[in-house]
Amino acid sequence: MAERPLRLEGKVAIVTGAGSSGEGVGNGKAASILFAREGAKVLLVDFQEDRARETLQMIHDEGGVASTLQGDMTKLEDCERMAETAMERYGRVDILDNNVGISQRGTVVEVSEEDWDKVMTVNLKTIVLASKATIPHIIASGGGGAIINISSIAGLRAHSSTPYTASKAGVIGLTFSMAADHAADSIRVNCIAPGLVYTPMVAPRMNDDLRQYRTDAAPLKTEGTGWDVGYAALFLASDEARWITGICLPVDAGLTAVHPGTFTPMNQQTRY
Amino acid sequence: MRLAGKVAIISGGSRGMGAYEAELFVREGAKVVVGDVLEDEGRNLAEKIGEDAFFLRLDVTSEADWAAAVKLAVDRYGKLDVLVNNAGVSARGTIEETSVADWDRVMDINAKGVFLGTRAAIPEMRKAGGGSIINISSQLGLVGMGESSPQYQASKGAVRIFTKSAAIQYAADGIRVNSVHPGPIVTPMTETRRSDAAVQQVMISRIPLGRYGESEDVAYGVLYLASDESSFVTGSELVIDGGWTAQ
Repeated sequence: MAERPLRLEGKVAIVTGAGSSGEGVGNGKAASILFAREGAKVLLVDFQEDRARETLQMIHDEGGVASTLQGDMTKLEDCERMAETAMERYGRVDILDNNVGISQRGTVVEVSEEDWDKVMTVNLKTIVLASKATIPHIIASGGGGAIINISSIAGLRAHSSTPYTASKAGVIGLTFSMAADHAADSIRVNCIAPGLVYTPMVAPRMNDDLRQYRTDAAPLKTEGTGWDVGYAALFLASDEARWITGICLPVDAGLTAVHPGTFTPMNQQTRY
Repeated sequence: MRLAGKVAIISGGSRGMGAYEAELFVREGAKVVVGDVLEDEGRNLAEKIGEDAFFLRLDVTSEADWAAAVKLAVDRYGKLDVLVNNAGVSARGTIEETSVADWDRVMDINAKGVFLGTRAAIPEMRKAGGGSIINISSQLGLVGMGESSPQYQASKGAVRIFTKSAAIQYAADGIRVNSVHPGPIVTPMTETRRSDAAVQQVMISRIPLGRYGESEDVAYGVLYLASDESSFVTGSELVIDGGWTAQ
């Protein structure tokens, strides 16, 4: 049997938040590695470039093609520099995977105005700015494109992280709207809603008990990882998903398919 | 290969989306039992694919047919890992125009058929240590459309929520259950509607990506859900509709 073609052969991808905030593999790192493994050339963008270099090393170890770039996605000029860099280095842009994100706990009473603005800027506005800067280059590249935004199941349900929930719900609405706006340019825009995955972003506030609680919270009772989110991103980025746009795909071991009281008593969610 | 070593049953596998899935699954390393009431087309397809596919007559409303399909998969290929509940029929008309007989016919094939297939497959999947069930619902299981029919929409809505019920009940056995929601696809089932140019124009105007879907557009989504790449995905709805329901 002939070897199957790679799933992203000939494509150029930009991954924001391509490094992980600690040891292990987060959503952006996993997506970057999978994109490169399937033949894409990947621009690895991170606020802390040394983190993106770890991802780069892993891609180089597999013989993939990628490079790093420092960038602050809350600044439009950095986003524009990012898109231009991808064009300069690789000649085109086909895929933008928006991974940048931070956690933010608290009720509206507890959260400071400053923290509210910060989470909305980092989790939502960065997608707007990165997309604003990149879409014209995707159109100029002439092959259509795919944008993947990382939302969260916290955008679908209360999650005892009110500012985070609001920002991630915003990502879903933004995705629907961007999908409608840019369908005529053959740019597909979809989002993924990861469930309680264990990634470097959440690791600092975890302990063994909490990891077990989170694992048991969803019907499958398995611990999700950045790879689970990465494989979903790979599918949505590839031409296999060429007729999919404007969707929100939960990757959550069934958590949002269940009545909230069944596995995740809302009054216990502060434990997350 | 993404389905190496896996054994699948695809209902309604003789033509359209099911047939494309059968060929794609085998290309990705699976063995496939193609079940359908369309016997000539199913046999021809299985013959074309070769020894990794086998056709069996499967009326999805028949408990005996489902038992035979599961037995065939296990006898011939050793186990069962994947079930695609793809068989379905369409219908048009208003509630007042719909006879009880036609309501029952559509609900039996589209909804009860998914229940019977799932029930028949679960014991063997449990023995295999887990599995993946993909139920083909429709965008019309999510949103209403005047040109459809009450029984079609009700049946596809039933598939949507049945999927979540099954996902929760069998998660502990490692069995994942997800639904796929295609928009209008170029298949034999949609031929009548597509032959009316005015209707087709209206349909396309509602699809942001500006065209009907093809069988392969759905089949690759089904492949993702069948494979271990989606091992953390259950109870989810994968919408494949060119952006229709995002608007």
